[in-house]
Amino acid sequence: MLPAYVSGAIIYSNLLMLLSIGFTFAYLTAKVPNFAHGGNAAIGIYVTFTLVTVLELNPYWAILLAFPICGLTSALIYRGVIQALKRRGAGLISLSIATIAAQMLIFASVNIYADYMRGIAGQYARVFLYRNQDFEVMGLPGVLLVSTVLAVTIITLLHVMLTRTKFGIATRATVENADLAGTLGIDTELVSLISWFVTGGLAGIAGTLLPLWFQSTPYTGALILMSVFSASVVGGMSSIYGAMVGGYVIGLTEVLGTSFLADRFGSWVLPYRSLIPLIAMFIILLGVPEGLAGMAEKINIGHIRRSVFRPSTFVGRGGSPDA
Amino acid sequence: MLNQELFITIITDISIWFVLYLIVTVALNLQYGYTGIPNFGMVLSVAGGAYVTGALAGRIARLYYSVGTDLDFVADSAKIASMINDRLATDPLAGIALFLLIIVIAMLVNAFLGFIVAYPSIKVREVYLMMVLIAAGEAIRIVGENYYPLVGGTTWVQVPNVFIWLGDSQRIAVSVLFVGIAFLVFLLVQRIVGSPFGRLIRAVRENETVVESLGKDTVGIRALVFVLGSAIASLAGVLYAFHSHAVMATAFQRSSWTFLPWLMLMLGGKGNNKGTLAGTFLLIIVRRLIMIFKYEIQQFVPVEAIWLELLLMSGFLILIMIYRPEGLIAEKPIKIRDLDYQDMADTSARSGESNEGGQWVKWQLE
Repeated sequence: MLPAYVSGAIIYSNLLMLLSIGFTFAYLTAKVPNFAHGGNAAIGIYVTFTLVTVLELNPYWAILLAFPICGLTSALIYRGVIQALKRRGAGLISLSIATIAAQMLIFASVNIYADYMRGIAGQYARVFLYRNQDFEVMGLPGVLLVSTVLAVTIITLLHVMLTRTKFGIATRATVENADLAGTLGIDTELVSLISWFVTGGLAGIAGTLLPLWFQSTPYTGALILMSVFSASVVGGMSSIYGAMVGGYVIGLTEVLGTSFLADRFGSWVLPYRSLIPLIAMFIILLGVPEGLAGMAEKINIGHIRRSVFRPSTFVGRGGSPDA
Repeated sequence: MLNQELFITIITDISIWFVLYLIVTVALNLQYGYTGIPNFGMVLSVAGGAYVTGALAGRIARLYYSVGTDLDFVADSAKIASMINDRLATDPLAGIALFLLIIVIAMLVNAFLGFIVAYPSIKVREVYLMMVLIAAGEAIRIVGENYYPLVGGTTWVQVPNVFIWLGDSQRIAVSVLFVGIAFLVFLLVQRIVGSPFGRLIRAVRENETVVESLGKDTVGIRALVFVLGSAIASLAGVLYAFHSHAVMATAFQRSSWTFLPWLMLMLGGKGNNKGTLAGTFLLIIVRRLIMIFKYEIQQFVPVEAIWLELLLMSGFLILIMIYRPEGLIAEKPIKIRDLDYQDMADTSARSGESNEGGQWVKWQLE
């Protein structure tokens, strides 16, 4: 039997890892931070809501359904917004605002959907928690096992795809130098499009599992994005393995740190939970702005050095990646 | 005269909102339009200004008049505010002094806050700065909604009415005063960007390496502009609080104080204050129209007005950025004295170049 807060920390870290891998991966291929990433998670949350409350199905079906829905949303954002803007020579900041606009679009749509569903599901369409819908294995919550298995599987799949397949090599080439990859006949835009599809789908999957342990609202997607930023910054924004470790570091710090502080100082600490990743991000930026992957590069850890994405994209101020 | 009454209400309402958003958008234009700092956390400064007003205006006035000192500041804030208002009604000087004092404190506090937030990330990659600022904008909301003594958490605190001594003419007088303040801010920023410093920040935006090579401290310049913009934007929060006589933490959402100013800026055209003015004005009118005709709209589209508005605005921003990225009024290049543009145009025409430089010179001659 694990204490509830430990289960919570592991579940949260697994989901955060999926989200931050996606955020970093999408950034590396397209060189645009996808601020609509939290929106995809919010869609995932509402897929679970629809299945459980409206259709009264097992919440785990949502995983299968959310992947294509959120993947398509994300791909649509890339195709319809990012590519259109890139063709007109938009810079990094303009592209980022566009993803924020996409996030707002999703946020508004999710809220409209939640309001609409209120007629069917009552008050619970805006705040819900499905811990009681979950199964248990040897006293452990099902979502703990499922999220861990999913996280391990997805990371393995991503690793195999990136190191063993032709598409993976094309992706790595795009990450390293998109122009050069283009001259070798790699359709870098297609690579980015597919990576946005996959990362959007992963965000959706992470979203579907959130309501099984954490209270969810239409706002959850935007709130979890703070942890995703922090995890990606800790990871260095240059390697999906960095993002993996960052997701776990921030996830555990956030949940366990909050329980520890709440034990120590009282439960008034609990609402400030989202400030922990922000503070962690500040510390990392002040101390090691290149993040864990950059640190590993510096001290020359062989394994990570040969990693899929070398942190060569790290450039100082002034050399923005889209320059 | 009911019609006249309604007319005044609509005009003052529009002018107040226009003024608040104009200040924020001008600050954003200084930061992003001229210097290229992507401030995705504008709400931080606006909320900061409002929180300072909510937390301090009542407390300072309470100490000054020593009324209601035994009451709880947040829970009895309405009672305290009405006690203070009774005193302020006959004390115009104290009202004005409180108003100015709060403005100064709020600007200092928010300049400091801006510095703290920007310090770790302004010298690293742009993406980091964006993420830190988005997160900081969320953080201030979390603090405001949960730290009860600040502005009452999810309830609100009453702000003393510092213009109560104006009596019946208060509404119009305050609108005029706020318009005047916004006009001063506009002029100030216009002066800044027209000065040599204005040329410097545009140069920082265009090419930091070149500016650095000329011996300028680009990190310092960016930090300075960020701090200045934060202080200016906090003014909007202060005015908002003094106008509505209350501060409510839930009123400071990212959608209305970060996203909307960005939309106004992109619509009007970044890097030029006239465009900013036009964009702000247009959107305020549209927004007010949506609010006024809310019920009529809801008969056709059964969606809550705030989500419909957000949906329309975000879709609109994407369309503007794709089809008219320079906005309504495009930024004009700086004209430099003693430079012979005609000669440059001839040279570029002779060499048969149709490059950007030639285009730029042609533009100057128009």
